[in-house]
Amino acid sequence: MNVKEVGSSAFQILECELNPKESITVESGAMASQDVGLVPTTVMNGTFFQALALKFFGGESFFINHFLNVSAKVQKIHISQTTPGDIQCRKLEGEEIFLEAGSFIARAGDIKIKTKWAGFKNFIAGEGLFKLSFKGHGTIWYGCYGAVIEKEINGTYIVDSGHLLMWPPTINLKLKLAGGLIDSFLSKEGFVLQLEGKGKVQLQTRSVKGLAQWLNTRFWR
Amino acid sequence: MRFELQHQPSSTIAVCNLEPKETLVSEGGALMALKGTVSVNTTTHQKGSGGVLSGVKRLLSSESFFLNQYQTTQSAQVWLCSALPGDMLVKKLNGEKLVIAGGSFVACDSNVHIDLEWQGLKSILSGESLFWIKAKGQGDLLLNSFGFIYPVHVDGEYIVDTGHIVAFEETLQFNISTASKNWLQAYLSGEGFICRFKGKGTVWCQSHNPKSYGQELTSYLKPRG
Repeated sequence: MNVKEVGSSAFQILECELNPKESITVESGAMASQDVGLVPTTVMNGTFFQALALKFFGGESFFINHFLNVSAKVQKIHISQTTPGDIQCRKLEGEEIFLEAGSFIARAGDIKIKTKWAGFKNFIAGEGLFKLSFKGHGTIWYGCYGAVIEKEINGTYIVDSGHLLMWPPTINLKLKLAGGLIDSFLSKEGFVLQLEGKGKVQLQTRSVKGLAQWLNTRFWR
Repeated sequence: MRFELQHQPSSTIAVCNLEPKETLVSEGGALMALKGTVSVNTTTHQKGSGGVLSGVKRLLSSESFFLNQYQTTQSAQVWLCSALPGDMLVKKLNGEKLVIAGGSFVACDSNVHIDLEWQGLKSILSGESLFWIKAKGQGDLLLNSFGFIYPVHVDGEYIVDTGHIVAFEETLQFNISTASKNWLQAYLSGEGFICRFKGKGTVWCQSHNPKSYGQELTSYLKPRG
């Protein structure tokens, strides 16, 4: 398997070459174009209840597509994401990472997706009650809105909730008000996430929620 | 008439250099700036083809109702842009036909004839536009995309998600269907429709799907209250 991230950083997509009998699992709707030797099978994202949990609590799709090269030649597939921005590739060797809901694009190898309880505080921050955990051996690709900033954390660090893309289990999330109660409301910053621990996290420079908030104020005045 | 693309590939605009007696036809809303004395006529149809009906048809193909025609007596420049961030493509037609997906058309030389083609009942169910634009004639054509454009030279068969098609050569045969084999699964998976191309020719794809982006955004937008 040979996978490249192509395009300028504003609009990256994956160009993936699969050898005969190789396969890749792709988020529903993410296939842009493909050779005909790749046959898709729509499968549930895990077991029935896992898939249900992923859909309703994790913001992921209930079904995902599994593309298998049934031909005798190398076949190519282009995989896209919904928002403009960078695509990240991460090899997992048994470790676990957490991703922002909806950012998963594709995976290859033996990687399990699970929804994990994130606590009520996350729900209040608009992040949902569950967090998405990816664990196993293989490669995953995930997309962000805008560009990616990598940050080595040792101690505490504060991030606006829509901008946290990837974090390891060694980092704990705590919900905080951006300022005082009234300040937070007036500044529209609302809640922010306080990261605590040691490890590398990734942030995205744009957030869909941010764009929607901006649009909402302009729509129906 | 000469199109010059600037600020590629993320924020592309097109500068059209108009010579006397040339006419540029553009989609309504694409104009950014004008230089020189240019007369602008807004019509619902191209010269000598259709009437108001072609404007209605164009609406159905997610293009705008009106076409603007730019004419000049001296040389002039017309700057054109698109609504979404992304790239543009200039395609020179030499008599061949090109099929353009709804929303991808920006402008053309008036010697290029554009018309709409009904895509059949399946396209209604697919939620894609009912019509695609068919262009033929002699001259330049300006197309836009969400994200960058990659050409695929098809020889045999090739599959493209309908939301990722910008345009394709008419030498290619195509067939719209669901990605999964059964319709229920296709509906449940939220998967779009795919276009299966057959034959020999080029299809231009866009890296991103405007509809998927819209859907992701819509879930955060407030209803009218």
